[in-house]
Amino acid sequence: MSTAAPDLRDRQDGAAPLERRAVPPGRRLRRGLAPWLLLAPALIVLGVLLLWPMVRVLNLSLQDYELKNLLRGDSNYVGLDNYVQVLTDPFLWQIVLPNTVGFAIVCVVLTMAVGTVVALFLNTLGTAWRSICTTAIMVAWAVPALTGTYIFVWLFDPQSGLVISALDGLGLMEAGSVNWFTNRWSFYAIATLNVVYHGFPFIAVTMLAGLTTVPDELYEAAALDGASAWTRFWQVTVPTLRPIIAVCVILSTIWDFKVFVQIFLMPGGDGSTREVMNLGVWSYTQSFAQGEYGMGSTIAVLLTALLMVISVVYIRTLMKEEEL
Amino acid sequence: MNRRTPATTAARVIGVVVLLALTLFPFYWMLSTAVDTSPLSRGASLLPSGLTLEHFEHVLVDAGFLRYVRVSLVVALGTVVLSGAVALLAAVAVARFRFRLRTQVLVMVLMVQMVPLEALVIPLFLQARTLGMLNSLLGLTIVYLGFSLAFAIWNLRGFVAAVPRELEEAAYVDGASWWRMFRSILLPLVAPGLVATSVFSFITAWNEFIFALTFIQDGSKYTVGVGLRTFFTQNTADWGSVMAASTIIALPVVLFFVLVQRNLAKGITAGAVKG
Repeated sequence: MSTAAPDLRDRQDGAAPLERRAVPPGRRLRRGLAPWLLLAPALIVLGVLLLWPMVRVLNLSLQDYELKNLLRGDSNYVGLDNYVQVLTDPFLWQIVLPNTVGFAIVCVVLTMAVGTVVALFLNTLGTAWRSICTTAIMVAWAVPALTGTYIFVWLFDPQSGLVISALDGLGLMEAGSVNWFTNRWSFYAIATLNVVYHGFPFIAVTMLAGLTTVPDELYEAAALDGASAWTRFWQVTVPTLRPIIAVCVILSTIWDFKVFVQIFLMPGGDGSTREVMNLGVWSYTQSFAQGEYGMGSTIAVLLTALLMVISVVYIRTLMKEEEL
Repeated sequence: MNRRTPATTAARVIGVVVLLALTLFPFYWMLSTAVDTSPLSRGASLLPSGLTLEHFEHVLVDAGFLRYVRVSLVVALGTVVLSGAVALLAAVAVARFRFRLRTQVLVMVLMVQMVPLEALVIPLFLQARTLGMLNSLLGLTIVYLGFSLAFAIWNLRGFVAAVPRELEEAAYVDGASWWRMFRSILLPLVAPGLVATSVFSFITAWNEFIFALTFIQDGSKYTVGVGLRTFFTQNTADWGSVMAASTIIALPVVLFFVLVQRNLAKGITAGAVKG
């Protein structure tokens, strides 16, 4: 941090005189107010729709709040009771947290690996084939999470899906003999496939954009020094692309931690199979199926806190890399 | 790197084939199930057992999916217009002005994107209930404005920053006011970015599920995502209809993405500044 800070200030100072030149004093004063006027609508929207609800959810998490409290318009503070109850619940530690964290880690690692391999491969192709492949990847990216989930559910349908039919055809398994959606591991294997399929295109496209900026000379110099392709990747590509890789990892981590639709829409994922619940689904069903908005808020706050810790760590890494 | 031996060419061809097959297969499976005469007995055959449009007909005519499409379009277009306007102003502020707290504002915009929707759905549901905004498409549009805004600002900021300052300064030298410069210089040059951002806002609203599920209880106001769930009954799913409806949902998004991709690839201000 200490080495990066003066660098950041230098650049800002460098930009400022350029702006002041040729701007008359009256306009300079107006320019002081102008950015805030331009920002006002956006800040109001974000404040009302995102920040204020976050305050409210924090407040709700300290209450035993049900629909009757809303109707009566009263509050029902219980201190940290909800937190104690959630954090001492073995269900959190044995089922929900592993489902959330383990799943996210596996998804981020796989998404990054697949995305990077695809980007490196695309980088070796000629323009025509590269754009054909990029378009195909765009299709995978564009398929909405909602419909993508249904496609995977259909592919793995225990009665007449493609996968069971193929296994049946090979004589390995009988159609209808097993339901993959009731088992925690196979449920999450299918969800992982779905999330990685949906997530790798962003990584591939972003990494490809980065790869094209790495000067060829660096590779040539490394090759002259006798570095293998593997070494060149780790010693040239990765360090040069560090800011881009950091952004990709941050974004996929955030996306994969708060996966909701892809779990919720799978059979049993809406809370009816308790052992496949993750933090998001747990919070949602506590609130909207059980009507315990206070408890649901507590779980939501814990999920948000988890995401915030990750985000802060990553943003600090990111801020070292470049001026925002 | 540019060695062209038969072995590397063969490897590349295999790579392209595998990549295309894997990335397009789920999409193909959706399309081919949607036009299959008997999807449930198709098994593992790669080609549909017969071609038919009856699933689409069933979905659009009998099941009233067209109504859900109309609702989703209204909400998504409302979101696009509102978030495009608000985000553009904010993007100009952060890309063009150096002011105190600028970095903090940017970090905040980045941070709010990380707030999980599951955490917002509870307070916003309670708020909407108090305000009588449940079952209201306006309420849903306003919520989507909030979700699409942060990304829109972040995205547009790059496009605004890419417009050369010299063009703006030239306008000022010619005596243009800030507003005049904004309309005649900045807006036309940022237009491609605005298109890209609009597409992403549209997709955010079009694809959203949790809030549509929670806020809208009146069946006549279902969005496409929630409407899709009506094709599932207790234990069985009519997969032909589900995939036909999924195709209707996915197709505009896929087309948009492919179009925007080309738009993004073009140089934004190529040729605007010469000499």
